[in-house]
Amino acid sequence: MNSYVPILVLALLAVGFAVFSVVLGTLTGPKRWNRAKLQAYESGIEPTPQPPGGGRFPVKYYLTAMLFILFDIEIVFLYPWAVTFQKLGAFGLVEMVTFVVTVLIAYAYVWRRGGLEWD
Amino acid sequence: MTNLAAGAVSAADPTLASFSPLVWWIIAIKVVVIFLFLLLFQILMIWAERRVIGRMQNRPGPNRWGPFGLLQPVADALKLPLKEDIVPRQVDKLLFFLAPILSAVPALISFAIIPVGPEVSIFGVHTPLQLTDFPVAVLLVLAMSSIAVYGIVLAGWSSTGPYSLLGGLRSSAQVISYEIAMGLSFVAVFLYAGTLSTTGIVNAQAHGWYVWELLPSFLIYVLTMVGETNRLPFDLPEGEGELVGGYNTEFSSMRFVLFYLAEYVNMLTVSALATTLFLGGWRAPWPLSLWSGANSGWYPIIWFLIKVALFEFGFIWLRGSLPRVRYDQLMALGWKILIPVSIIWLLLIATVRAWRYDTHSTAVYVVGGVVLAIIIVIAVSWDIAAERRASRAAGAESAAQEAGPEPGTPAAAPRGGRVTYRVPPLDLPHYHGVGVTDPSRPVPPPAGAAVGAGDSNGTKEVTGA
Amino acid sequence: MTGSVGHAGLVGHPGVLAASTIAAPHIEYSQLAPMLIVFAAALAGVLVEAFAPRSARRSLHIVLALGGLGAAFILTILIAASSSIFAGGGAGHIAAMGAVGVDRPTLFIQGTILVLAMLTMLIIADTAHGLSPFVAQAAAVPGSAEEREGLLKGVTHTEIYPLTMFAVGGMLLFPAANDLLTMFVALEVLSLPLYLLCGLARRRRLLSQEAAMKYFLLGSFSSAFFLFGIAMLYGFAGSVRLSAIASAASTNTANETLLLAGVALLGLGLLFKIGAVPFQGWKPDVYQGAPTPITALMASCVVVSAFGALLRVFYVAFGTLTWDWRPVLWVIAILTMLLGAVIAITQTDVKRLLAYSSITHAGYILTAVVASSALGLSSSLFYLATYGFSTVGAFALITLVRDPSGEALHLSRWAGLGKRSPLVAATFAFFLLAFAGIPLTSGFTGKFAVFQAAEASGATPLVIIGVLASAIAAFFYVRIIVLMFFSDPVPDGPAVVVPSALTGTAVAIGAAATLFLGIIPGPLLSLANNAATHLFVR
Repeated sequence: MNSYVPILVLALLAVGFAVFSVVLGTLTGPKRWNRAKLQAYESGIEPTPQPPGGGRFPVKYYLTAMLFILFDIEIVFLYPWAVTFQKLGAFGLVEMVTFVVTVLIAYAYVWRRGGLEWD
Repeated sequence: MTNLAAGAVSAADPTLASFSPLVWWIIAIKVVVIFLFLLLFQILMIWAERRVIGRMQNRPGPNRWGPFGLLQPVADALKLPLKEDIVPRQVDKLLFFLAPILSAVPALISFAIIPVGPEVSIFGVHTPLQLTDFPVAVLLVLAMSSIAVYGIVLAGWSSTGPYSLLGGLRSSAQVISYEIAMGLSFVAVFLYAGTLSTTGIVNAQAHGWYVWELLPSFLIYVLTMVGETNRLPFDLPEGEGELVGGYNTEFSSMRFVLFYLAEYVNMLTVSALATTLFLGGWRAPWPLSLWSGANSGWYPIIWFLIKVALFEFGFIWLRGSLPRVRYDQLMALGWKILIPVSIIWLLLIATVRAWRYDTHSTAVYVVGGVVLAIIIVIAVSWDIAAERRASRAAGAESAAQEAGPEPGTPAAAPRGGRVTYRVPPLDLPHYHGVGVTDPSRPVPPPAGAAVGAGDSNGTKEVTGA
Repeated sequence: MTGSVGHAGLVGHPGVLAASTIAAPHIEYSQLAPMLIVFAAALAGVLVEAFAPRSARRSLHIVLALGGLGAAFILTILIAASSSIFAGGGAGHIAAMGAVGVDRPTLFIQGTILVLAMLTMLIIADTAHGLSPFVAQAAAVPGSAEEREGLLKGVTHTEIYPLTMFAVGGMLLFPAANDLLTMFVALEVLSLPLYLLCGLARRRRLLSQEAAMKYFLLGSFSSAFFLFGIAMLYGFAGSVRLSAIASAASTNTANETLLLAGVALLGLGLLFKIGAVPFQGWKPDVYQGAPTPITALMASCVVVSAFGALLRVFYVAFGTLTWDWRPVLWVIAILTMLLGAVIAITQTDVKRLLAYSSITHAGYILTAVVASSALGLSSSLFYLATYGFSTVGAFALITLVRDPSGEALHLSRWAGLGKRSPLVAATFAFFLLAFAGIPLTSGFTGKFAVFQAAEASGATPLVIIGVLASAIAAFFYVRIIVLMFFSDPVPDGPAVVVPSALTGTAVAIGAAATLFLGIIPGPLLSLANNAATHLFVR
């Protein structure tokens, strides 16, 4: 546990620096009120009205996030396997190949069904 | 002390045990030094980037303030806090405050586990030149890069502007897509080193750097680290041609500085990680490593910095020479090439290694090579066939469209309900200057004269020539 | 030199620091073969989806699914007949480092599930008369142009086959799981495909989507409770192995709160899956909204699997706590039997009615679970098998009675069916009589068995209430029979389509099994008795 303490110290310093920077920016900068400045920036055109909550966005991003979670979980299993690879030997290899092939089958399905296309 | 098992690893090299017990003032020194290094290095990096890109584009770059313009980033750093901190009316105030912090802090933390050098003596205390290490050290970097995604997506979301939202979404999708390939490229290293501790990985490379043994993993990692840091040619989230500044459109003054800083610190961290995992960390390169003193004391910091600087230069070089890719190309590269290639490569080396443990014969490398060649041939021929199919389908589709529906209606593509929309033709008269003969406007310069307009930092520079 | 070896080893391979104690686990693939084959068939189904041309997919899927289930069934029989289990008088094994128990009751349950799954697969695969019960494009908004387009093109989601196979694989693992984590994984593997399948009905899309959503939300809740229960039990026993929990429960009296909370939460998760009161709320809505073949799957295989897991958990892990959980299960069994029977009287939709009937039947089986004896186990196993056959047959029959807009589900549409298609009405009446527990049907023998077990363990009040509930239930079953045979046919009433070979086989096997097990229950009953003699392995 001790080896995490230095990270905590560094994190505290980093947070302190970041918060200080933002607060500093609000204090040192000038304040000149202008209606247009407080609107969303859209290259000069009248801002698009935004529904509360940010509105809808393409569902593709959601799909990408789900696929990411699937593969990230695969990686979660791969790391401990890689570290203990020598000890598990052929058994570890066979099991992991089975697992990875299972994931690859799902991957092939997603690919063939156009889940990886961006139109 | 004879050291048969570890070969070139000297007994003085740090291990996990070197990090305990903690000495508080050593930690304080290391934390402060790392922190200052991270901040000051970026000033140098920004200067170097602008100078190098200037050279690549036949212009001098910033050269007025200080020797060789070295103080230009300092001037920028002083200027930005003095700019107005605009908080648009519609934003989510709390998240708007948190997002830049969430982006910058993880970037600053990651460097803690990078080994910069072997054990040295600081005021009589022997300590490794590394803030800390633990058995799952590399996970810290992955965890931090995942948390940094929150900074980006919250920045985009809290701004409630279309550019910001799209930029945030694109950026997070890109980062998580490339994170998978990045994570997969690490597995090979862990497989060889048998540990996730960075000290252990550097020690395990005493005989040879992994860049040679695991070249495909290294190449994949180099690609993903460019994607992870949102740098050209993968800088779509901030593609100023279409999204202004992407997720940081609405941020100004110091909030913008934090995003900017995070990007550059991330570049440094991924470069340092590449050095650690694939280039032997602080170990001296070959001719130098013959001198036994090269891998002890303070010298390794030099080798480490040189390696990191090479990666950083690579970032600049890419930016100076490559155009931005399209978003679908970006995602296709991540999902359709990097991921399958890294998985297949991983399975291959795992098989070869397991076989090698069992039989101790080198024939496995030959077999592995043959299998790899077969896989490559299959993949390439599959790709060629798919392209041919696609071009045939496209031909049929365009033929159908010429005969097909009345203009304005989306034409249904044959496969999977995909819909292609008619777009305005790209050869309208005014693209060729017809109809814009307004005498008050200056004639646009010919394309060749547009050099010097490539600096996308948003800061004006004096092009003295 | 020797002094430095350890250090050098650490330097060279820092991983050694972490664990030099890892030994490669051992997995008995042959013992797990039925499950592995089902999962492999499911994966192959995904590959078919990915690479086979659309026209070839359905037939490939049918071959794969039925082949996989059949092969798994044969292997189950082979394992059961091997010298170490039934034939040699052994109790069974623990496989995969203690994660899975391959024992007599489990093999019986797995065999039952596989046979019922094959029957269900026949109904799922039936696309005769141009009407697959499954939607063309699940992602299209109901009533939209895309949906119409999909319908006109005649495409269907062939993903239903791999999804069903995954669910069946989960169902096989669920009752076999010998530790709680494996059980949880199995629960998820069986549930997640079902959530999807529920939303794929071709007709009445909104109802179907609502069913899927309700099932998903409530199912997730129950999974969360299940997981929370696992956490409690792990906190109590320091292990997720069922046997370790049992031994900790009998020796450790310190943290009884943790233990009892764990029992309650785990029981909640399991009782939800079988639809016992007060966790029955999802059943009518989901059964009604889901495509009828999937309803058949849920009413037969899922119930069998969930009861298998419930029996294993309560007999193995909580076997020493009988005095703690028995009163609660008493109350739940009584409520389940009575509430299911009473509410069913007011139902006007055939599928809802069968859903409530399924709740009542869960109550009957719970009376045998309460017995907590070998007799209770064997009678539960027997009841599950008989009820599974009848229910698959009944749902298969429902798919045959059709309106222009799909299946005719409202009871008023069934009026006078006996006069227009006597065979279908008679078969359905036969299934209803079996549900009611009339002699000469399998329902009677099953009910007799469970009530006998409950009575033998001293739960006579339960038996009395069970008989009472049966009488109430008989009322609404008979009411439908009266409606079909003794009222005038409705004008422009539903058409009864001629069953295709697939559905026809399912109905015929269901009816034949119901009749056969009603007249000659001996062989299956003795098999169930045989399966239960050694209880579960620990």
